[in-house]
Amino acid sequence: MILKEEVQIPLDRNTVFNALNDPDILQQSIPGCEELKQTGDNQMEARVVVKFGPVKASFNSNVELDPSGGPELFKLSGSGDAGVAGFANGGANVHLQENEEGTLLTYEVNIDISGKLAQVGSRLIEGTSKRLAKKFFTNFEEALLSGQSAAQT
Amino acid sequence: MSAAAETVQERQAKLKGLGTSRKRVEDARFTQGKGNYVDDIKMPGMLFGDFVRSQHAHARVKSIDTSAALALPGVIAVLTAKDLEPLSLHWMPTLAGDKQMVLADGKVLFQGQEVAFVVAEDRYIAADAVDLVKVEYEELPVLVDPFKAELPDAPILREDIADSTEGAHGPRRHPNHIFTWEQGDKAATESILDEAEVVAEEMVYYHRTHPCPMETCGSVASMDKVNGKLTLWGTFQAPHVVRTVASLLSGIAEHNIRVVSPDIGGGFGNKVGVYPGYVCSIVASIVTGQPVKWIEDRMENLSATAFARDYWMQGKIAATKSGKILGLWCHTTADHGAFDACADPTKYPAGFMNICTGSYDIPTAYLAVDGIYTNKAPGGVAYRCSFRVTEAAYFIERMIEVLAIKLDMDAAELRAINFVKKEQFPYQSALGWEYDSGDYHTAWNKALEAVDYHGLRRQQAQQVEDFKAGNTRKLMGIGLCHFTEIVGAGPVKNCDILGMGMFDSCEIRIHPTGSALARLGTISQGQGHATTFAQILASEIGISADDITIEEGDTDTAPYGLGTYGSRSTPVAGAATAMAGRKIRAKAQMIAAYLLEVHDNDLEWEVDRFVVKGAPERFKTMKEIAFASYNQAIPGVEPGLEAVSYYDPPNMTYPFGAYICVMEIDVDTGVSDIKQFYALDDCGTRINPMIIEGQVHGGLTEALAIALGQEIAYDELGNVKTGTLMDFFIPTSWETPNYQTDYTETPSPHHPIGAKGVGESPNVGGVPAFSNAINDAFRAFGLTHTHMPHDHWRIWKTAKQLGLHG
Repeated sequence: MILKEEVQIPLDRNTVFNALNDPDILQQSIPGCEELKQTGDNQMEARVVVKFGPVKASFNSNVELDPSGGPELFKLSGSGDAGVAGFANGGANVHLQENEEGTLLTYEVNIDISGKLAQVGSRLIEGTSKRLAKKFFTNFEEALLSGQSAAQT
Repeated sequence: MSAAAETVQERQAKLKGLGTSRKRVEDARFTQGKGNYVDDIKMPGMLFGDFVRSQHAHARVKSIDTSAALALPGVIAVLTAKDLEPLSLHWMPTLAGDKQMVLADGKVLFQGQEVAFVVAEDRYIAADAVDLVKVEYEELPVLVDPFKAELPDAPILREDIADSTEGAHGPRRHPNHIFTWEQGDKAATESILDEAEVVAEEMVYYHRTHPCPMETCGSVASMDKVNGKLTLWGTFQAPHVVRTVASLLSGIAEHNIRVVSPDIGGGFGNKVGVYPGYVCSIVASIVTGQPVKWIEDRMENLSATAFARDYWMQGKIAATKSGKILGLWCHTTADHGAFDACADPTKYPAGFMNICTGSYDIPTAYLAVDGIYTNKAPGGVAYRCSFRVTEAAYFIERMIEVLAIKLDMDAAELRAINFVKKEQFPYQSALGWEYDSGDYHTAWNKALEAVDYHGLRRQQAQQVEDFKAGNTRKLMGIGLCHFTEIVGAGPVKNCDILGMGMFDSCEIRIHPTGSALARLGTISQGQGHATTFAQILASEIGISADDITIEEGDTDTAPYGLGTYGSRSTPVAGAATAMAGRKIRAKAQMIAAYLLEVHDNDLEWEVDRFVVKGAPERFKTMKEIAFASYNQAIPGVEPGLEAVSYYDPPNMTYPFGAYICVMEIDVDTGVSDIKQFYALDDCGTRINPMIIEGQVHGGLTEALAIALGQEIAYDELGNVKTGTLMDFFIPTSWETPNYQTDYTETPSPHHPIGAKGVGESPNVGGVPAFSNAINDAFRAFGLTHTHMPHDHWRIWKTAKQLGLHG
């Protein structure tokens, strides 16, 4: 399943790019993220709770960030294991483009969900995933802007 | 004596024998919730088993950590392949000559595969413990497309047999290839295709689906360590076969195993095979010394126990310009999943797919079937059909329609031109069968007249005009089908399963007061055997069906038989019943002759008694004879009145039928609406018309499900996308139309009472009728063929592709 979307954030590209590499901001942004630890230079472990219709799954995830294309491109890949509920594999490419209003983020998320989640919730997965991806960037924007205003005061 | 005053007709009616719409004796308990199913069995100290199943379709199992599960209070044991290996039970043979993992041995090959078996004090604890078993997997590339199985980069699924070039059914050309099965004359068929005036070609896919019986599979195993006897209750369509297989696998002597099939809530082929749950419950009971119950949930049933169909059938059909069919060619790619666990007679790895010449006199034909391994659940059972007969019937009935389009001919007429004629029976088909009997033209004409076929075609043409003129957004489809089934497997000379010949049996005991007990080797799963077998016997021995008890399913008491599937109960066990009844009657005749002081030959049988020829006032009823058989010393005749028959049928039986479905399709929503369904069945002698009617209704409704939406669909990762009843279509009264049933009666010449079997005909004939109706609705707009299942979305898509959405 591939999800594509774009969001506009009224901040400059370097700020947005750095935020994508900031565990605190990521934790605030990922919907249902209960815990996020940096385990290596570009490696993180996260526990994320997601509800797909009737199934609530707690994913233990390993995420690898790839900032080498920055600040134009931010990549991540990872896998999550929700035990008997299933598992997920995927990655995202986020393109950051400067424009007059700040930064335009174009993201392409590639995600495969398997196991019981896929069996019970196949008809719900795409909708849920789209919603979660959208929520991530809304949260991300909020976290960034509140961080900015906090810094300004 | 008041009985003497009764007329022959009155006495006949009292028997409730052949041809009577006797009410089902089973229903008193079923309608009151008093059935006794496997899950109703409760025993002191009974434990519950539950499976840890693979989430992955293809992965290596790196480790299994059971410690957290074992630490949970109430958990007794967690079995893995390592525990079963010392008993050689970590793998088991399949019915198709392959072997299958009982618990994952090093890798998993389909989603839902059994990895570990948790045994706990109750099922809730077992379910909790399942979540605590930690399995570490290494994912492997997944193969879900059988056409990619032999590509150079295809993952090798069955590493255990990767190097073996010889399989159970001949040479294997690739590690993912199971067998090639060929029938007919390839060279002759190909030369006819080369030279024919007209050749129609189509890929016909019969999608993967599942029998989905209302009751899922389950078992209770109880090993009595004091007397060494194992009792196994389970949802078995073939209890005697299960006993033999259990004995061979476990090493427990067969007389120390008792297998019982209690009431079964539908089988439809799903309960023919042997599943890891049965094996694990037996092992767990042996290990713990306590009874162990295992019951599947719905998701497990749909995603792990036997599926049906999944045949890709490439067809070519050659004909003259005037529509006489000259040759038929078929190559089938059969997706068998991870293990070849098809339930077919040994010599027929693609079942009776070679009945695919259908009802037509096709002089030359060729069939090849390639069995392929994929990362899907094993199975390939005959879901309410004789082995692969529904695939064959769907194939030929679609090919006929495709040919009719190519010839620009009416499909009903094309069929009539090509039917095997009445005088051609017994008919030798090009693919090796001898059709025992049939009268297709009579049935076909009756069906066409009953629905006013030509009137329907005029109405359809008018609707097309109206559609084109913009006056309606609905189209009408007329789905025709004339099918020929092949049931009643089967003659031991060519039909066996795991080496066990497919005869069946009946044992009759007449009690002194003239009532009777008959036991059979089959087992009812809702077919109403207790009702219908008593009727066969009533007509044979002159005892009222109400006074005959039918027992099946307990291997300690019932005679050995191969079970119930493939519409074989009436053709085989029904024949055994009639033959055993005739043995009873033969002995009764000797007794009656002695009692009446006449020669055997001076007696004739009349409904329920032997009468002295020419002296109708002198007779002995079966009741009187029964009493005398036990209580009177008769010189030269041993006491008692019992008989056994093991019946090996000389041939299969060939029921047939003519079905017509009228469907209306909403082009803009894809919604289909069945306006009329006419089903004419010829199942030979009709034992109980009411039960036949019920069987036809049930079979048609399952056919409707399959044709219009029911499927087991996988995504490219091998996830089962239809693992619950939210996605797996089961029709309710809302979707089920009113069926109009009819019949002709062409008795089987070789069956003792002429009966042929009917339970599966409506599924075999129904699927093409529904599918042909959908396809036919779009014929005027250039559609040749579209694949099942025809759910609303797919119908809508077809309409869109044809440009009908404007």
